[in-house]
Amino acid sequence: MLKLLAQLFLQFFHVGVFSFGGGYATLPFLYDIADKFHWYSAKQLTDMLAISSITPGPVGVNVATFAGFTTSGILGSLVATTAIILPSYIIVTIVFKVIDKFRTNRNVKGAIRGLKPAGCALLSAVGIKLLFTSNLHLLGTIILLGFLILSVKKKQDPLFYLGISAILGFLIGHFNWIGV
Amino acid sequence: MEKSFWSIFKTFFKVGTLLLGGGYVILPLLTSELVDKKHWITSDELCEFYALGASLPGIIAANTAIFTGRKLLGRKGAIAATIGIVLPSFLAIVLLASILSEIVNKPSVQHIFWGVGIGVIALLFLAVKEMWTKCVVDKFSICVYLVCLILAFTRVIPLSLIVILALVSGIIFQKIKDKRNAKKQEGEKQC
Repeated sequence: MLKLLAQLFLQFFHVGVFSFGGGYATLPFLYDIADKFHWYSAKQLTDMLAISSITPGPVGVNVATFAGFTTSGILGSLVATTAIILPSYIIVTIVFKVIDKFRTNRNVKGAIRGLKPAGCALLSAVGIKLLFTSNLHLLGTIILLGFLILSVKKKQDPLFYLGISAILGFLIGHFNWIGV
Repeated sequence: MEKSFWSIFKTFFKVGTLLLGGGYVILPLLTSELVDKKHWITSDELCEFYALGASLPGIIAANTAIFTGRKLLGRKGAIAATIGIVLPSFLAIVLLASILSEIVNKPSVQHIFWGVGIGVIALLFLAVKEMWTKCVVDKFSICVYLVCLILAFTRVIPLSLIVILALVSGIIFQKIKDKRNAKKQEGEKQC
């Protein structure tokens, strides 16, 4: 039990330290955890993403709480949630003290310059992997392409895509059009 | 309104509850609560905390909240803001997790989740696109992007090591660039 809690803490602390770029930037690390430990599967994580967009709070916190809860109950969820947020707390506290130096420091500028495209690259890798591992079938691929074309024309709320895809998923499954 | 541990906690708890669909909406939410309603902080300060929060590792919404809390009431404020912003998300998932496993096994819910999975992939690609336009701007960032992508895809080294490599290469690149600029300026002076 104690070993599991320590592992939960270490893994989610690691996510808090290394994810960079906001929003979905925690995802590459969260999928990595799904591969290495069996606290949740890659499919459960995708489900969690959908759930976390209709529940309050950032995706990373939601997944940490979920993974902690499913592996070791309330205590586990407390440990994992604290672990993912603690690096932020420590880093912000330090930066706040040297805020003026931080803004003008050349090394900081350089570091951010390298980190930004890296965050984007890690997320791209997750996207490509998901394309190959999810059972999209032909119909799903067409829906995805439709969404992407639509997004170029007009920017929509995230809930728009999730709502439409939920309805389509329900209909397609209900009438067994592709046997999902 | 008075700035106390409790009032800061309550404010951030409210923002945390309204934080739907990922952390992107943190800035407008904080502006409405802290700038417009309570006048605790100026809009400029808040924007700067957001920009700083986005340039640090971790969850941007949390970073921004911690910066703001710290500014409002020192260490106490930072703790109040952290707990306040995280607690709604924590409670929601704990409540959901216990009923989730039962619901998910129903066939109709499985179909919905299959569909939603497509929506999630679309959102992920949109996030990549937005990051790309902001982050991949010159030759250096394209190089970093491509190398990181290949490394992340082939999994020859751990993800954290990729991040560290990108960080170090950024610092080195900046150093070289600064040196070159300094030389150029010197050259111009001599002419």
